[in-house]
Amino acid sequence: MDYYLFTARSITHAQQMAQVLERSGVYIKIRRVSPGMTKNGCGYTLQVASRQYRRAAEVLREAGIRPVKVFHVVNGQRQEVAQ
Amino acid sequence: MIYLDSAATTFRKPQAVRSAVLRAMQTMSSPGRGGYPSARAAEETMFRCRSLAAEMFGVPDAERVVFTTCATHGLNIAIKSLVPPGGRAIVSGFEHNAVTRPLHALGAETVVAASPLFDDGACVHAFANALRRGADAVICTAASNVFGYALPVAEIARLCRRAGVPLIVDASQSAGILPLDMSALGAAFVAMPGHKGLYGPQGTGLLLCGSEAQPLLEGGTGSESLNQEMPAFLPDRLEAGTHNMPGIAGLEAGLRFVKNTTPERIARHERALIRRASEGLAHLGGVTAYAAEEPMRQLGVLSFTVRGREPEELAEELARRGVAVRAGYHCAPLAHRSAGTLEQGTVRVSVSAFEQAADIDGFLRTMRGILAK
Repeated sequence: MDYYLFTARSITHAQQMAQVLERSGVYIKIRRVSPGMTKNGCGYTLQVASRQYRRAAEVLREAGIRPVKVFHVVNGQRQEVAQ
Repeated sequence: MIYLDSAATTFRKPQAVRSAVLRAMQTMSSPGRGGYPSARAAEETMFRCRSLAAEMFGVPDAERVVFTTCATHGLNIAIKSLVPPGGRAIVSGFEHNAVTRPLHALGAETVVAASPLFDDGACVHAFANALRRGADAVICTAASNVFGYALPVAEIARLCRRAGVPLIVDASQSAGILPLDMSALGAAFVAMPGHKGLYGPQGTGLLLCGSEAQPLLEGGTGSESLNQEMPAFLPDRLEAGTHNMPGIAGLEAGLRFVKNTTPERIARHERALIRRASEGLAHLGGVTAYAAEEPMRQLGVLSFTVRGREPEELAEELARRGVAVRAGYHCAPLAHRSAGTLEQGTVRVSVSAFEQAADIDGFLRTMRGILAK
Protein backbone atom coordinates (compact mmCIF):
# COMPACT_ATOMS: atom_id res chain seq x y z
CA MET A 1 0.00 0.00 0.00
CA ASP A 2 1.25 3.41 -0.99
CA TYR A 3 0.05 6.77 0.40
CA TYR A 4 1.23 10.15 1.75
CA LEU A 5 0.93 11.64 5.24
CA PHE A 6 0.76 15.39 5.83
CA THR A 7 1.54 16.12 9.48
CA ALA A 8 -0.23 18.93 11.35
CA ARG A 9 0.81 20.81 14.48
CA SER A 10 -2.65 20.50 16.04
CA ILE A 11 -6.09 19.10 15.40
CA THR A 12 -7.22 22.56 14.26
CA HIS A 13 -4.36 22.78 11.76
CA ALA A 14 -5.25 19.28 10.49
CA GLN A 15 -8.90 20.30 10.15
CA GLN A 16 -7.99 23.45 8.24
CA MET A 17 -5.97 21.40 5.75
CA ALA A 18 -8.74 18.80 5.55
CA GLN A 19 -11.38 21.45 4.85
CA VAL A 20 -9.40 22.98 1.98
CA LEU A 21 -8.55 19.60 0.47
CA GLU A 22 -12.07 18.20 0.69
CA ARG A 23 -13.47 21.32 -0.95
CA SER A 24 -11.09 20.63 -3.82
CA GLY A 25 -12.17 17.03 -4.15
CA VAL A 26 -9.16 15.49 -2.46
CA TYR A 27 -10.25 12.62 -0.23
CA ILE A 28 -8.38 12.56 3.09
CA LYS A 29 -8.45 10.68 6.37
CA ILE A 30 -7.39 12.37 9.63
CA ARG A 31 -5.20 10.10 11.80
CA ARG A 32 -3.17 10.47 14.96
CA VAL A 33 0.61 10.63 14.35
CA SER A 34 2.85 7.66 15.04
CA PRO A 35 5.83 8.11 17.40
CA GLY A 36 8.82 9.44 15.53
CA MET A 37 6.86 11.41 12.97
CA THR A 38 7.04 14.60 15.01
CA LYS A 39 9.80 16.01 17.17
CA ASN A 40 7.58 16.66 20.19
CA GLY A 41 5.03 13.82 20.07
CA CYS A 42 1.21 13.86 19.85
CA GLY A 43 -0.26 15.41 16.74
CA TYR A 44 -2.35 14.66 13.69
CA THR A 45 -1.75 13.68 10.08
CA LEU A 46 -3.82 13.67 6.94
CA GLN A 47 -3.59 10.52 4.86
CA VAL A 48 -3.80 11.20 1.12
CA ALA A 49 -3.80 8.58 -1.64
CA SER A 50 -0.70 8.65 -3.83
CA ARG A 51 -2.71 9.45 -6.94
CA GLN A 52 -3.95 12.65 -5.28
CA TYR A 53 -0.66 13.72 -3.69
CA ARG A 54 0.39 16.30 -6.30
CA ARG A 55 -3.08 17.84 -6.36
CA ALA A 56 -3.18 17.96 -2.53
CA ALA A 57 0.23 19.63 -2.29
CA GLU A 58 -0.81 22.20 -4.89
CA VAL A 59 -4.14 22.97 -3.19
CA LEU A 60 -2.45 23.53 0.18
CA ARG A 61 0.23 25.72 -1.37
CA GLU A 62 -2.43 27.85 -3.07
CA ALA A 63 -4.34 28.16 0.21
CA GLY A 64 -1.20 29.18 2.07
CA ILE A 65 -1.53 26.33 4.57
CA ARG A 66 1.70 24.43 5.02
CA PRO A 67 1.92 20.96 6.58
CA VAL A 68 4.64 20.52 9.21
CA LYS A 69 6.14 17.55 7.33
CA VAL A 70 5.17 15.23 4.48
CA PHE A 71 5.92 11.50 4.46
CA HIS A 72 5.60 8.96 1.67
CA VAL A 73 4.59 5.57 3.04
CA VAL A 74 5.25 2.47 0.94
CA ASN A 75 4.58 -0.99 2.39
CA GLY A 76 4.65 0.46 5.90
CA GLN A 77 8.02 2.20 5.41
CA ARG A 78 7.98 5.98 5.95
CA GLN A 79 10.19 8.38 4.01
CA GLU A 80 10.11 12.15 4.57
CA VAL A 81 9.47 14.16 1.42
CA ALA A 82 11.09 17.57 0.89
CA GLN A 83 8.48 20.34 0.55
CA MET B 1 -41.38 35.83 35.00
CA ILE B 2 -40.53 38.90 32.94
CA TYR B 3 -36.81 38.52 32.33
CA LEU B 4 -34.98 41.80 31.73
CA ASP B 5 -31.42 40.88 32.65
CA SER B 6 -29.99 39.75 29.32
CA ALA B 7 -26.92 41.94 29.78
CA ALA B 8 -25.91 39.43 32.48
CA THR B 9 -26.93 36.39 30.46
CA THR B 10 -29.52 35.74 27.81
CA PHE B 11 -31.75 33.41 29.79
CA ARG B 12 -34.02 32.42 26.92
CA LYS B 13 -32.03 30.38 24.39
CA PRO B 14 -33.01 29.06 20.97
CA GLN B 15 -34.29 25.46 21.07
CA ALA B 16 -31.36 24.50 18.80
CA VAL B 17 -28.94 25.54 21.56
CA ARG B 18 -30.60 23.34 24.17
CA SER B 19 -30.69 20.41 21.72
CA ALA B 20 -27.03 20.85 20.79
CA VAL B 21 -25.96 20.83 24.46
CA LEU B 22 -27.87 17.63 25.11
CA ARG B 23 -26.57 15.97 21.92
CA ALA B 24 -23.00 16.84 22.88
CA MET B 25 -23.44 15.22 26.30
CA GLN B 26 -24.77 12.09 24.63
CA THR B 27 -22.29 11.79 21.74
CA MET B 28 -19.04 13.69 22.40
CA SER B 29 -15.94 12.93 24.45
CA SER B 30 -12.67 14.90 24.55
CA PRO B 31 -11.53 16.55 21.32
CA GLY B 32 -7.90 16.26 20.20
CA ARG B 33 -7.23 13.23 22.35
CA GLY B 34 -8.18 10.19 20.26
CA GLY B 35 -9.18 8.81 16.89
CA TYR B 36 -12.47 7.17 17.89
CA PRO B 37 -15.93 8.41 16.84
CA SER B 38 -16.91 10.36 19.97
CA ALA B 39 -13.58 12.24 19.95
CA ARG B 40 -14.00 12.92 16.24
CA ALA B 41 -17.55 14.20 16.78
CA ALA B 42 -16.19 16.63 19.38
CA GLU B 43 -13.35 17.75 17.09
CA GLU B 44 -15.69 18.37 14.18
CA THR B 45 -18.09 20.40 16.33
CA MET B 46 -15.24 22.45 17.73
CA PHE B 47 -13.86 23.20 14.27
CA ARG B 48 -17.28 24.13 12.90
CA CYS B 49 -17.78 26.53 15.80
CA ARG B 50 -14.33 28.05 15.38
CA SER B 51 -14.76 28.44 11.61
CA LEU B 52 -18.20 29.98 11.97
CA ALA B 53 -16.93 32.51 14.52
CA ALA B 54 -13.99 33.36 12.24
CA GLU B 55 -16.40 33.95 9.35
CA MET B 56 -18.83 36.05 11.41
CA PHE B 57 -16.19 38.25 13.06
CA GLY B 58 -13.75 38.78 10.19
CA VAL B 59 -10.93 36.62 11.57
CA PRO B 60 -8.80 35.46 8.62
CA ASP B 61 -7.76 32.18 10.23
CA ALA B 62 -9.86 29.83 12.39
CA GLU B 63 -6.76 29.00 14.45
CA ARG B 64 -6.97 32.53 15.84
CA VAL B 65 -10.37 31.87 17.42
CA VAL B 66 -9.73 30.64 20.97
CA PHE B 67 -12.34 29.11 23.28
CA THR B 68 -12.49 30.66 26.73
CA THR B 69 -14.81 30.24 29.69
CA CYS B 70 -16.18 33.79 29.51
CA ALA B 71 -15.17 37.28 28.34
CA THR B 72 -13.34 37.89 31.63
CA HIS B 73 -11.08 34.91 30.88
CA GLY B 74 -10.31 36.26 27.40
CA LEU B 75 -9.70 39.79 28.70
CA ASN B 76 -7.27 38.47 31.30
CA ILE B 77 -5.28 36.64 28.60
CA ALA B 78 -5.29 39.69 26.33
CA ILE B 79 -4.35 42.21 29.02
CA LYS B 80 -1.63 40.03 30.56
CA SER B 81 -0.18 39.34 27.10
CA LEU B 82 0.21 43.02 26.30
CA VAL B 83 0.56 44.99 29.53
CA PRO B 84 3.67 44.21 31.60
CA PRO B 85 3.66 44.67 35.39
CA GLY B 86 3.81 48.40 36.03
CA GLY B 87 2.98 49.13 32.39
CA ARG B 88 0.63 51.81 31.07
CA ALA B 89 -2.86 51.15 29.73
CA ILE B 90 -5.54 53.50 28.45
CA VAL B 91 -9.18 52.57 29.06
CA SER B 92 -12.52 54.17 28.36
CA GLY B 93 -14.61 55.62 31.14
CA PHE B 94 -17.09 52.74 30.81
CA GLU B 95 -14.97 49.67 31.54
CA HIS B 96 -16.03 46.68 33.59
CA ASN B 97 -14.03 45.26 36.49
CA ALA B 98 -13.02 42.45 34.10
CA VAL B 99 -10.68 45.08 32.61
CA THR B 100 -9.78 47.27 35.57
CA ARG B 101 -9.07 44.49 38.09
CA PRO B 102 -6.45 42.68 35.93
CA LEU B 103 -4.79 46.07 35.34
CA HIS B 104 -4.86 46.78 39.06
CA ALA B 105 -3.34 43.35 39.77
CA LEU B 106 -0.53 44.15 37.31
CA GLY B 107 0.14 47.43 39.09
CA ALA B 108 -0.39 49.15 35.76
CA GLU B 109 -0.82 52.87 35.36
CA THR B 110 -4.43 52.95 34.18
CA VAL B 111 -5.25 56.12 32.30
CA VAL B 112 -8.99 56.70 31.96
CA ALA B 113 -10.01 58.41 28.74
CA ALA B 114 -12.99 59.90 30.54
CA SER B 115 -15.97 61.31 28.68
CA PRO B 116 -19.67 61.94 29.38
CA LEU B 117 -22.28 59.34 28.59
CA PHE B 118 -23.34 59.06 24.91
CA ASP B 119 -20.82 61.71 23.81
CA ASP B 120 -18.82 60.18 20.96
CA GLY B 121 -16.89 63.35 20.15
CA ALA B 122 -15.65 63.74 23.72
CA CYS B 123 -14.82 60.04 23.89
CA VAL B 124 -12.64 60.11 20.76
CA HIS B 125 -11.02 63.35 21.90
CA ALA B 126 -10.18 61.80 25.30
CA PHE B 127 -8.52 58.79 23.65
CA ALA B 128 -6.57 61.01 21.23
CA ASN B 129 -5.25 63.02 24.19
CA ALA B 130 -4.34 59.97 26.24
CA LEU B 131 -2.55 58.34 23.30
CA ARG B 132 -0.14 61.27 22.99
CA ARG B 133 1.98 59.74 25.73
CA GLY B 134 1.72 56.23 24.24
CA ALA B 135 0.70 53.07 26.09
CA ASP B 136 1.25 49.33 26.18
CA ALA B 137 -2.39 48.83 25.22
CA VAL B 138 -5.75 50.51 24.84
CA ILE B 139 -8.68 48.56 26.25
CA CYS B 140 -12.15 49.66 25.26
CA THR B 141 -15.58 48.20 25.68
CA ALA B 142 -17.69 48.23 22.52
CA ALA B 143 -20.79 48.92 24.62
CA SER B 144 -21.30 49.79 28.27
CA ASN B 145 -22.84 46.99 30.32
CA VAL B 146 -24.54 49.61 32.50
CA PHE B 147 -25.92 52.10 30.00
CA GLY B 148 -25.82 50.30 26.65
CA TYR B 149 -23.73 53.16 25.24
CA ALA B 150 -22.13 51.91 21.99
CA LEU B 151 -18.72 53.53 22.04
CA PRO B 152 -17.09 54.78 18.80
CA VAL B 153 -14.76 51.78 18.61
CA ALA B 154 -13.95 52.16 14.90
CA GLU B 155 -12.66 55.68 15.55
CA ILE B 156 -10.72 54.58 18.61
CA ALA B 157 -9.21 51.70 16.60
CA ARG B 158 -8.11 54.19 13.94
CA LEU B 159 -6.38 56.30 16.59
CA CYS B 160 -4.64 53.20 17.98
CA ARG B 161 -3.42 52.10 14.55
CA ARG B 162 -2.04 55.58 13.92
CA ALA B 163 -0.29 55.62 17.30
CA GLY B 164 0.96 52.03 16.95
CA VAL B 165 -0.72 51.01 20.22
CA PRO B 166 -2.43 47.61 20.35
CA LEU B 167 -6.17 47.63 20.97
CA ILE B 168 -8.16 45.15 23.06
CA VAL B 169 -11.92 45.29 22.50
CA ASP B 170 -14.33 44.03 25.14
CA ALA B 171 -17.29 42.92 23.02
CA SER B 172 -19.26 41.53 25.97
CA GLN B 173 -22.39 43.56 25.28
CA SER B 174 -22.03 44.01 21.53
CA ALA B 175 -21.13 40.60 20.08
CA GLY B 176 -24.06 39.30 18.08
CA ILE B 177 -25.66 42.75 18.00
CA LEU B 178 -23.18 45.19 16.46
CA PRO B 179 -21.24 44.22 13.33
CA LEU B 180 -17.66 43.28 14.19
CA ASP B 181 -14.81 42.85 11.71
CA MET B 182 -11.60 42.00 13.52
CA SER B 183 -9.45 42.50 10.41
CA ALA B 184 -10.94 45.91 9.61
CA LEU B 185 -10.47 47.07 13.21
CA GLY B 186 -6.89 45.82 13.28
CA ALA B 187 -7.43 44.91 16.95
CA ALA B 188 -4.84 42.90 18.87
CA PHE B 189 -7.59 40.99 20.69
CA VAL B 190 -11.38 40.92 20.88
CA ALA B 191 -12.95 39.14 23.86
CA MET B 192 -16.59 38.12 24.07
CA PRO B 193 -18.81 35.88 26.17
CA GLY B 194 -20.73 33.02 24.56
CA HIS B 195 -23.71 33.28 26.90
CA LYS B 196 -24.98 36.79 26.14
CA GLY B 197 -25.64 38.03 22.60
CA LEU B 198 -24.35 34.80 21.05
CA TYR B 199 -27.00 32.75 22.91
CA GLY B 200 -24.64 29.96 23.98
CA PRO B 201 -24.57 28.40 27.44
CA GLN B 202 -22.84 29.95 30.45
CA GLY B 203 -19.19 28.91 30.70
CA THR B 204 -18.40 29.73 27.07
CA GLY B 205 -16.52 32.59 25.47
CA LEU B 206 -14.30 33.49 22.53
CA LEU B 207 -11.03 35.33 22.28
CA LEU B 208 -10.15 36.51 18.77
CA CYS B 209 -6.39 36.86 18.54
CA GLY B 210 -4.61 39.27 16.22
CA SER B 211 -1.49 39.36 18.32
CA GLU B 212 0.97 37.06 20.12
CA ALA B 213 -0.61 35.74 23.30
CA GLN B 214 0.69 34.37 26.58
CA PRO B 215 -1.15 31.46 28.21
CA LEU B 216 -2.97 31.99 31.46
CA LEU B 217 -3.05 28.22 32.10
CA GLU B 218 -0.53 25.54 31.26
CA GLY B 219 -1.43 21.90 30.70
CA GLY B 220 -2.31 19.21 28.20
CA THR B 221 -3.36 20.20 24.71
CA GLY B 222 -3.28 16.88 22.83
CA SER B 223 -0.34 18.24 20.83
CA GLU B 224 3.48 18.28 21.29
CA SER B 225 3.22 16.16 24.44
CA LEU B 226 7.00 15.70 24.74
CA ASN B 227 7.47 19.46 24.98
CA GLN B 228 7.20 20.92 28.49
CA GLU B 229 6.58 24.40 27.11
CA MET B 230 3.09 25.26 25.95
CA PRO B 231 2.84 24.99 22.13
CA ALA B 232 3.83 28.20 20.37
CA PHE B 233 0.84 28.00 18.00
CA LEU B 234 -2.81 28.91 18.41
CA PRO B 235 -5.31 27.81 19.50
CA ASP B 236 -3.43 25.16 21.53
CA ARG B 237 -1.25 27.77 23.22
CA LEU B 238 -4.29 29.16 25.04
CA GLU B 239 -6.46 26.05 25.39
CA ALA B 240 -4.95 23.80 28.06
CA GLY B 241 -7.17 21.07 29.48
CA THR B 242 -10.39 19.44 28.34
CA HIS B 243 -12.79 21.59 26.38
CA ASN B 244 -16.36 22.36 27.43
CA MET B 245 -17.95 20.38 24.60
CA PRO B 246 -21.62 20.82 25.60
CA GLY B 247 -20.89 24.54 25.85
CA ILE B 248 -19.10 24.74 22.51
CA ALA B 249 -21.83 22.73 20.77
CA GLY B 250 -24.42 25.10 22.24
CA LEU B 251 -22.35 28.10 21.25
CA GLU B 252 -22.17 26.88 17.66
CA ALA B 253 -25.97 26.65 17.59
CA GLY B 254 -26.18 30.12 19.14
CA LEU B 255 -23.85 31.57 16.51
CA ARG B 256 -26.01 30.03 13.77
CA PHE B 257 -29.09 31.60 15.35
CA VAL B 258 -27.42 35.03 15.33
CA LYS B 259 -26.15 34.58 11.77
CA ASN B 260 -29.58 33.53 10.49
CA THR B 261 -31.52 36.17 12.43
CA THR B 262 -28.80 38.74 11.60
CA PRO B 263 -27.24 41.12 14.14
CA GLU B 264 -28.96 44.04 12.37
CA ARG B 265 -32.45 42.65 13.07
CA ILE B 266 -31.55 41.79 16.64
CA ALA B 267 -30.17 45.29 17.22
CA ARG B 268 -33.27 46.92 15.72
CA HIS B 269 -35.54 44.78 17.92
CA GLU B 270 -33.57 45.50 21.10
CA ARG B 271 -33.36 49.23 20.42
CA ALA B 272 -37.11 49.42 19.88
CA LEU B 273 -37.75 47.69 23.22
CA ILE B 274 -35.34 49.95 25.07
CA ARG B 275 -36.91 53.01 23.51
CA ARG B 276 -40.35 51.75 24.64
CA ALA B 277 -39.02 51.25 28.16
CA SER B 278 -37.35 54.66 28.39
CA GLU B 279 -40.42 56.47 27.02
CA GLY B 280 -42.65 54.58 29.44
CA LEU B 281 -40.38 55.37 32.40
CA ALA B 282 -40.36 59.05 31.43
CA HIS B 283 -44.08 59.17 32.24
CA LEU B 284 -43.50 57.98 35.79
CA GLY B 285 -42.80 60.63 38.42
CA GLY B 286 -39.30 60.89 39.87
CA VAL B 287 -37.68 58.53 37.37
CA THR B 288 -34.45 59.39 35.54
CA ALA B 289 -33.83 57.05 32.59
CA TYR B 290 -30.40 57.20 30.96
CA ALA B 291 -31.45 57.04 27.31
CA ALA B 292 -29.44 58.28 24.35
CA GLU B 293 -30.99 61.09 22.32
CA GLU B 294 -29.63 59.35 19.22
CA PRO B 295 -31.03 55.77 19.42
CA MET B 296 -28.16 54.29 17.40
CA ARG B 297 -25.79 55.14 20.26
CA GLN B 298 -27.54 52.72 22.63
CA LEU B 299 -27.99 48.95 22.56
CA GLY B 300 -30.51 46.87 24.49
CA VAL B 301 -29.49 48.11 27.94
CA LEU B 302 -31.13 50.91 29.94
CA SER B 303 -30.29 52.19 33.41
CA PHE B 304 -32.60 54.29 35.54
CA THR B 305 -32.92 55.70 39.02
CA VAL B 306 -35.95 56.74 41.05
CA ARG B 307 -35.80 59.72 43.38
CA GLY B 308 -35.95 58.62 47.00
CA ARG B 309 -35.63 54.88 46.19
CA GLU B 310 -32.55 52.73 46.47
CA PRO B 311 -31.89 50.70 43.31
CA GLU B 312 -31.37 47.42 45.20
CA GLU B 313 -34.63 47.87 47.13
CA LEU B 314 -36.48 48.64 43.89
CA ALA B 315 -35.00 45.58 42.14
CA GLU B 316 -36.04 43.38 45.08
CA GLU B 317 -39.58 44.73 44.86
CA LEU B 318 -39.63 44.08 41.10
CA ALA B 319 -38.34 40.51 41.69
CA ARG B 320 -41.09 39.90 44.26
CA ARG B 321 -43.57 40.89 41.56
CA GLY B 322 -42.00 38.65 38.92
CA VAL B 323 -39.72 41.04 37.06
CA ALA B 324 -36.00 40.17 36.86
CA VAL B 325 -33.68 43.18 36.62
CA ARG B 326 -30.27 44.00 38.04
CA ALA B 327 -29.39 46.81 40.43
CA GLY B 328 -26.27 48.36 41.95
CA TYR B 329 -22.95 48.96 40.24
CA HIS B 330 -23.04 46.08 37.74
CA CYS B 331 -19.30 45.41 38.35
CA ALA B 332 -18.53 48.68 36.56
CA PRO B 333 -17.91 51.52 39.05
CA LEU B 334 -15.97 53.40 36.38
CA ALA B 335 -19.08 53.65 34.20
CA HIS B 336 -21.08 55.01 37.14
CA ARG B 337 -18.38 57.58 37.84
CA SER B 338 -18.58 58.70 34.18
CA ALA B 339 -22.37 58.98 34.27
CA GLY B 340 -22.61 60.54 37.74
CA THR B 341 -24.45 57.59 39.29
CA LEU B 342 -21.68 56.37 41.59
CA GLU B 343 -23.48 57.39 44.78
CA GLN B 344 -26.01 54.56 44.70
CA GLY B 345 -25.82 52.90 41.29
CA THR B 346 -28.80 52.28 39.05
CA VAL B 347 -31.49 49.76 38.17
CA ARG B 348 -30.76 48.16 34.82
CA VAL B 349 -33.14 46.57 32.35
CA SER B 350 -31.68 44.72 29.39
CA VAL B 351 -33.22 42.69 26.59
CA SER B 352 -32.41 40.05 24.00
CA ALA B 353 -33.95 38.84 20.75
CA PHE B 354 -36.54 36.89 22.76
CA GLU B 355 -38.09 39.65 24.85
CA GLN B 356 -41.21 41.30 23.46
CA ALA B 357 -43.07 44.60 23.81
CA ALA B 358 -45.43 42.82 26.22
CA ASP B 359 -42.49 42.19 28.57
CA ILE B 360 -41.65 45.90 28.61
CA ASP B 361 -45.31 46.82 29.13
CA GLY B 362 -45.52 44.35 32.01
CA PHE B 363 -42.40 45.86 33.57
CA LEU B 364 -43.82 49.38 33.23
CA ARG B 365 -47.14 48.30 34.76
CA THR B 366 -45.27 46.77 37.68
CA MET B 367 -43.20 49.93 38.13
CA ARG B 368 -46.39 52.02 38.21
CA GLY B 369 -47.78 49.70 40.88
CA ILE B 370 -44.64 49.96 43.01
CA LEU B 371 -44.39 53.74 42.74
CA ALA B 372 -48.08 54.18 43.51
CA LYS B 373 -47.62 52.50 46.92
